[in-house]
Amino acid sequence: MIRTPARYRLLAMFVLPALLVYVAFSVYPLISSVVLSFFESSGQTSAFVGTANYVDLFTNPTTNARFWNALGNNVEFFLIHLLVELPIGLLMAALLTSGRLRRSVGVYRTLLFIPATLSVVIVGFIWRLIINPLWGLVEFPLLGTEATALPTISLMSVWQYIGIPMIFLYTALLAIPDDVIEASRIDGAGSWTAFWRIKFPLIAPQFGLIVILTYIWTFNGFDIVYALNGSAPGPNYSTDILGTFFYRSFFGSSGQVADLDLGATVASVIFLLILVTTAAYFWLVQRRLKTYEL
Amino acid sequence: MMRSATAPLAALAVTTLALGLAGCAVGSGDDPDSVTLTLGTWRTEDATMWENDIIPAFEASHPGITVEYAPIDTNDYNAAIQSQIDGGTGPDVIMCRPFDVNRAWIDKGYFEPLDGLDAIGSFPESALAAWEGDDGTPYCVPVASVLAGFYYNAAIFDELGLEVPQTQEEFLEVLDAIKEDGQYAPLALGSADGWQLAYNMLYQVGPNAWKGEEGRLGLIDGTQRLTDPDFVEGFRIFDSFKGYLPNGFESISYEDMTQLFTLGKAAILPDGSWQISQVTSTGLDVGVFGAPPAAKGDQRYQQEMADMAFGLNAASTQKEAATEFLEWLGTSEFQQLYVNKLPGFFSMGGEPVKYDNALAQEFADLKEGAELTSRLALDRLSAGQPPLDDEIWRVAQLMYNSGLSPEEATAELQAGLDSWYTPAQ
Repeated sequence: MIRTPARYRLLAMFVLPALLVYVAFSVYPLISSVVLSFFESSGQTSAFVGTANYVDLFTNPTTNARFWNALGNNVEFFLIHLLVELPIGLLMAALLTSGRLRRSVGVYRTLLFIPATLSVVIVGFIWRLIINPLWGLVEFPLLGTEATALPTISLMSVWQYIGIPMIFLYTALLAIPDDVIEASRIDGAGSWTAFWRIKFPLIAPQFGLIVILTYIWTFNGFDIVYALNGSAPGPNYSTDILGTFFYRSFFGSSGQVADLDLGATVASVIFLLILVTTAAYFWLVQRRLKTYEL
Repeated sequence: MMRSATAPLAALAVTTLALGLAGCAVGSGDDPDSVTLTLGTWRTEDATMWENDIIPAFEASHPGITVEYAPIDTNDYNAAIQSQIDGGTGPDVIMCRPFDVNRAWIDKGYFEPLDGLDAIGSFPESALAAWEGDDGTPYCVPVASVLAGFYYNAAIFDELGLEVPQTQEEFLEVLDAIKEDGQYAPLALGSADGWQLAYNMLYQVGPNAWKGEEGRLGLIDGTQRLTDPDFVEGFRIFDSFKGYLPNGFESISYEDMTQLFTLGKAAILPDGSWQISQVTSTGLDVGVFGAPPAAKGDQRYQQEMADMAFGLNAASTQKEAATEFLEWLGTSEFQQLYVNKLPGFFSMGGEPVKYDNALAQEFADLKEGAELTSRLALDRLSAGQPPLDDEIWRVAQLMYNSGLSPEEATAELQAGLDSWYTPAQ
């Protein structure tokens, strides 16, 4: 047994390198970006302006309208993932562990997971060709109307990332001991009952985690929209989500000056939004999901 | 125990320090006689041309100066160059964005004023305007401009017995004829990319109605408004092309349009001169015409957009060599070399330049007899929220996709502009 002070030193030795990297590349930029949002910089000088940037973001009719529009779109983007990606992911995980696919489980598992390994740019490009009204399969301009553009992009993203919840839930389902299921069979439970009454409650904590991870991913989303529609995503900003709104404010566009202060403000608001919701979710929901010792 | 526990930490610290120092050491020149200049640009696609042709030509006539081409991806250029300069690692010579972005950079003190340079004297005032400070001081040496035009497939025109239109009415008649024939899409144009509706259509056909620079400068000094009849008419002309777009145009992107034209499936492509090599890559016989005026003999207006220029980083340590380079950009030797290596980009210098590429020459000829005008909204009108240029992309899309009328469109744009832009009277 090592004495306590030495133990702390050892502990520090193992933790410190990772901690340094984490602080330097994650914590510090995050804090400095939040700090930046309280300053107004022009030229070489910058002055502390308190919450003026936030007031501006929420009271300037232009930025305000764009922000709420982006937030609304982001909620839609998240809901489509939640309602399509997760149930299908769960279904596929259930099928993979049901024993009905027998030896082809590996093939299916690989096929379903492959899109998640592709680059977003490639996924966007492939889908853009598939649904292209000139030479694709669909004559309707799916990406060109305000009503269909965002759902179309969301479904492309769902198609790409469906393997992630599937693999999470698949491993969780694999961890359930066979004897629990066997016992239920002996008690007369069919597959349906066994899944919903026994398996699902056992994997509920993992399912909850997937829900919140999906929330974080979609609210940090940016790449697929940017790859397909650029940084002023049309038509009429109908595919603008918080990530692209941030990008446009912070980096500017070819004819627009980059506004670092406004960009940092938007970034801080997004961060806060994710932090608060995630914390609330863990406090209100995740804590109450029971984890069973098996 | 103590020693062994802290040793890895110390090692880590030393390594980090060493890496940091190594990072700093890279880049300092070792030969005192030779100077290395870095060129920061957004033209990643031109790297080979600069490295193989242009830079060697410069280095041959200026011994002792080595030039390093350092391109950054177009979309990241503004942000990347700003952070480089703010961090003190900016290139010696910086490619300048035109108008508002550059004006913001001038205000930030990025550039050295260039009023003493001989090269500046070889450019007309209209060429310098995009890169001047508020007091008229030049900060960048103009390199190239781009023109907008309507490419047409000569074979299709021959087959259908069509002629290049001389008036707006004739233009619509030509499009009607192609539409009636039914074999080809009249216009290779989609609205998925808002920028090209604005740059290649509205800013091309509109100036004939708002009289080019007169309208543009009128908006800037506040004597004209977008709701004035001239502007509404410009937007109406833009709107009159709506019926000639291919099916599903709402999601046809810029790349799709070019492809539709180069595959010979469309007769006319509204586009910029920078696409010359692209549209002729499949061996089509392509001609080009400018936006025709309302009636024969009316003044014609031609969009010429200042595109590239080079400025001198105020924090550069190689100012002498950089100045020599900038002087060289003003020579016709450079301009002749540049425009012929890069068809579709046009010299902005006062001296005439010969273009080897036939289509480039045809484009350059469009400038004759026409009054030149810049893109409508990039100068001052996009320096606030909402930027007029971005708004025009959006509204142009709405006009084609959702039937927004020219009156509604211009009223909406003017309202947006009024919310922040108060011209100095």
